[in-house]
Amino acid sequence: MSDHGPITRPGETADDTLQHAHDDHEHGHGGVGKYLLVFAALCFLTTMSFFTYSEAWPWKDQPQVGWTFMMAVSCTKALLVILFFMHVLWEANWKYVLTIPAAMMALFLAIMLIPDIGFRNRMVSQERAVHMARPSDLELLQRAGAEANGATAH
Amino acid sequence: MTASTVSIHHDHGHGGHGHVHLQYQPGLPLTRGKLIMWLFLSTEIMFFAALLGSYVVLRFGAAIWPKPHHVHLSEPIGAFNTFVLICSSVTIVLALEAARANKTGLAKAWMVLTLLLGALFLGVKGYEYQAKFSHGIYPMTPRSLIHERPDLYYGSAVRARLGEPAIIDKLKELDDTPAQNLSAAEVEARDTLKKVREAVAAPDQQAFDMAWVADKVMPLPGEGAHGGGHGAGHGLNDAFPWLRLPIVIPGGNMWASTYFLLTGFHAIHVLVGLIVFVVLLTFRLDRKRAGMIENAGLYWHFVDLVWIFLFPLLYLF
Repeated sequence: MSDHGPITRPGETADDTLQHAHDDHEHGHGGVGKYLLVFAALCFLTTMSFFTYSEAWPWKDQPQVGWTFMMAVSCTKALLVILFFMHVLWEANWKYVLTIPAAMMALFLAIMLIPDIGFRNRMVSQERAVHMARPSDLELLQRAGAEANGATAH
Repeated sequence: MTASTVSIHHDHGHGGHGHVHLQYQPGLPLTRGKLIMWLFLSTEIMFFAALLGSYVVLRFGAAIWPKPHHVHLSEPIGAFNTFVLICSSVTIVLALEAARANKTGLAKAWMVLTLLLGALFLGVKGYEYQAKFSHGIYPMTPRSLIHERPDLYYGSAVRARLGEPAIIDKLKELDDTPAQNLSAAEVEARDTLKKVREAVAAPDQQAFDMAWVADKVMPLPGEGAHGGGHGAGHGLNDAFPWLRLPIVIPGGNMWASTYFLLTGFHAIHVLVGLIVFVVLLTFRLDRKRAGMIENAGLYWHFVDLVWIFLFPLLYLF
């Protein structure tokens, strides 16, 4: 493919030309074998993130370890899907024009929300303080549950 | 990104007498449909980034957040649905390969399989929603039975429910039923219900009494033993489904709002994908349609991508 893309022949729209060029271009990659390999990798990674839920996961008392691990697994899975299933690995450089701005906007959107995490618990209205649940409520419920179970056991 | 390149074509072959044909080319070397699909997906990335970002803010900003089994979330079911979506991503990509190779029958078969897998995903999702609804977990009132804390407001809500005419009739009917017509569990539940009625009617209620009531109405399953699934729940609401007494799940309301919003928007996207597949199945899926299948596939992979992040965030965090 030249720098300016394929030349459009008369009687053909630019879309037709691109479609043909694209079809010809496609034969060099992909293949069922490669897709199945990616599929196997995705299944393995799903099992990995499910592993954090199992009894065998060693960091039960530090949920942050599990969260980081799961996000890393999810990003890897997302990358595999984007690169292979969405064919981005084999696309020309236009892919950066669309994906980089979108990714940056998404990132900024998430970052803009971060200050709220700090503020939410520090600035609570009187009304909300009365009605919102606190960890002590959960403890109360669990104590009530434990005592009730103890009573039936005796 | 309009015409950046002009192609000049001298047509000598067909009596064109040296006419100069000027034709525009798009700035990006991809078909119009695919360009539009990618632009659309860019907006979708931002849409779901905002939703997921808000979820993370609310999740980690909350004083307390329910554990998955407090809200009857089943991790194995979520993992199964993840597997279903990954499978459907493979089948749609195989449908595209088959169409490019002009194997129309094979392309159609893969497409049908994708459609079935997508429908299976929605079916499982529906089953999961049903598990929430049957326990009174809805995103909003009047159907939602969730209370945040076992406080006096909760006690008066239980009392109000027990005072509704229809429930009074049902309770009378239950009280009048001879014990031999009930199972042992039902007799026990009836006795518990009697104590709950006394507790909420008592003038000197304590927070602990209300916690006891909440535990009897719908116990929060503890860690371990009954971990996932439908919890250890043998509460009064399970014993007598018509009762529908208010329940206590600390942090449950915010959880329900975010869960139903995120999975709901994702489910709508799945549904749209299924409609697209049904429309595509009415065509002959040959080489000419490869572009259409590719665009539908791009959309479908994106739906898969969103779920890849939703599953750990909602089920495992």
